[in-house]
Amino acid sequence: MFDGIMLGLSTVLDFNNLMYVIAGCLVGTFIGMLPGLGPITAIALMIPITYSIGADSGMILMAGVYYGAIFGGSTSSILINAPGVAGTVASSFDGYPLAKQGHAGKALAIAAYSSFIGGTIGAILLMVAAPLLAKVSLSFQSPDYVVLMFLGLTAIAAFSNKGQFLKAMMMTVFGLMLATVGIDPSSGTERFTFGQADLLDGISFLLIAMATFALAEALINVVKPEKKDAKSLNDSDTPQIGSTKLTKDEVKDMAPVVGRSSFLGFIVGVLPGAGATIASFMAYATERNLAPKGLKEKFGKGSLRGLAAPESANNAACTGSFVPLLTLGIPGSGTTAIMLGALIAYGIQPGPMLMQENPSVFWSVIVSMYFGNIVLLILNLPLIPYFAKVLAMPKSVLTVMILFFSLIGVYLVSFNTFDLFMMVGVALVALVLRLLAFPMAPLLLGFILGDMIERNFRRSMMISDGSLSFLWDRPLTLSIFILSILVLLFPLKDYLKQRRADKTASKLQQEQVQ
Amino acid sequence: MMNRELLGPSLFLALFTLYAVVAWQIPLLPFEEYETVTSATLPKVYAVFGIVVCLLSIGSTLLKPNEKAAENQPLEKSHIVRTLGLLVLMVIYSAMLEPVGFLISTSAFLLVGFFVMGEKRKKILLFASIPVAVVFWFLMTQVLGIYLVPGDLWS
Repeated sequence: MFDGIMLGLSTVLDFNNLMYVIAGCLVGTFIGMLPGLGPITAIALMIPITYSIGADSGMILMAGVYYGAIFGGSTSSILINAPGVAGTVASSFDGYPLAKQGHAGKALAIAAYSSFIGGTIGAILLMVAAPLLAKVSLSFQSPDYVVLMFLGLTAIAAFSNKGQFLKAMMMTVFGLMLATVGIDPSSGTERFTFGQADLLDGISFLLIAMATFALAEALINVVKPEKKDAKSLNDSDTPQIGSTKLTKDEVKDMAPVVGRSSFLGFIVGVLPGAGATIASFMAYATERNLAPKGLKEKFGKGSLRGLAAPESANNAACTGSFVPLLTLGIPGSGTTAIMLGALIAYGIQPGPMLMQENPSVFWSVIVSMYFGNIVLLILNLPLIPYFAKVLAMPKSVLTVMILFFSLIGVYLVSFNTFDLFMMVGVALVALVLRLLAFPMAPLLLGFILGDMIERNFRRSMMISDGSLSFLWDRPLTLSIFILSILVLLFPLKDYLKQRRADKTASKLQQEQVQ
Repeated sequence: MMNRELLGPSLFLALFTLYAVVAWQIPLLPFEEYETVTSATLPKVYAVFGIVVCLLSIGSTLLKPNEKAAENQPLEKSHIVRTLGLLVLMVIYSAMLEPVGFLISTSAFLLVGFFVMGEKRKKILLFASIPVAVVFWFLMTQVLGIYLVPGDLWS
């Protein structure tokens, strides 16, 4: 492990890579601050740039953009109560009241320090957990991968918002279907190409990522602008930042909260499908339950603990989500799914062999996370008043710029205008689906995992002589398979509970009428 | 009008059914005849699974007791027109990029795009469009050495 850390350090401390960490953090913060734009959009916009700089630097840049965007999302949550990302919604519960009370600077400082500690604890845990899991996963075979990917797909659907399970499943299937377009790599048969030569190579991952996130996100802000957006972006009435200093007592009070939330966040982040949103809400709820009576009432009204908990948890969860990506090659979230797609585009197959075949990518991503957290703390905190001015950028300019960068980003990779037409078509479909409240991340995950599932499924079937017995032949495969089924059935419990509650309510209503 | 909760699954049901029809028509190569898994196997599995999920979703929506009207904020006509305008503009940009060239098509795309978004200030219309296109072109072609199409019409 020590050699690995040294290798990561030497890669990250390269002048260019250090610049990429800093640039990634700054760009991520900038994009993350814009209401409605999250880390997925930020990373999607960066992909065309990363193609020209190599795998190590590209991943370092994307990792920087990732936590920069989460940090930026916290800033807009605190300053204007408009979280840029779902993972920072819980930060607005107490962050915004604090800003309204004139303590915006303090709230931002707490967010920065908590994020730093959460990210640092996460990075340390990642350094320990990732190599261990990578070693264990070396014994994984094709059947294990099939069920693991199945687990990843079901988990992201099961952990989607309440009542969205079936919608998420539909999107997953849609993503898997899109992955089947093009020439089948095993047999060479054309599938779903409808005679179009441009579809023979399949649909580009970058096109899908850009269309469903960057373009659709920009367009949804046009067709359905949030009042908060319009107000903040046009009037630039962001609160005064004020002092960023914290007292000793405040630090003492928050320290255990940050420690607990960081561990919780990391563990939740490792679980496929859970991610920063669930981690931040869980940390917030846990700390509210643990708080002594006097402090409990402060939650939601400007509690420092209520801000520190989700902030440390969401950053630790972001780091945690790299564990399944780097060790198993299975992304646990939409953001890491995009990174997986980028790695595959570099010709690198993430998974147990990554640590041995491309140790510099593996370790530099891990070490760059630590550096990224330092950059966020020492560079972003003093720059916050200037970043806040981003919120005053005219929406008319911003939207069109996002459209331009998305289109030209895809064009610069393929130099094919067919991709641009297709991208607009996919963006239109994504826009309609977004309006109908369908989540986008499962589609992307299904699309990226589709090819790997098919390859491993075929191999497993070949090994087991055309029988599905590979699902229960090995205890490891069977356990993961059972876990996937349980995860699949998990939302059913909520559904049945809801139905029972609805029935009881309607019965009571009838009795009252009688 | 159809319930919003039914519209999505119904659209997907139609799409998945269409996918299933095409999946069952995937031609098999001679050597695939005796294989358990062919290039059509997983598409068929996805199609069947997708249709089942859609039917479950439609069924659960129809069976929901005390169905409350979904809290739908109607979309404003001006916002829809603006969005459609941007979509059409993107299609035109895609079509014009190679024949007209990067500089002219991008400057025009940005300028018209700002206008469609309701921007009327001449300073922003001009200074956020042409200079951005020129600077981007310079960075790509002169600094990074990336080829950007000069325009088939002029070459």
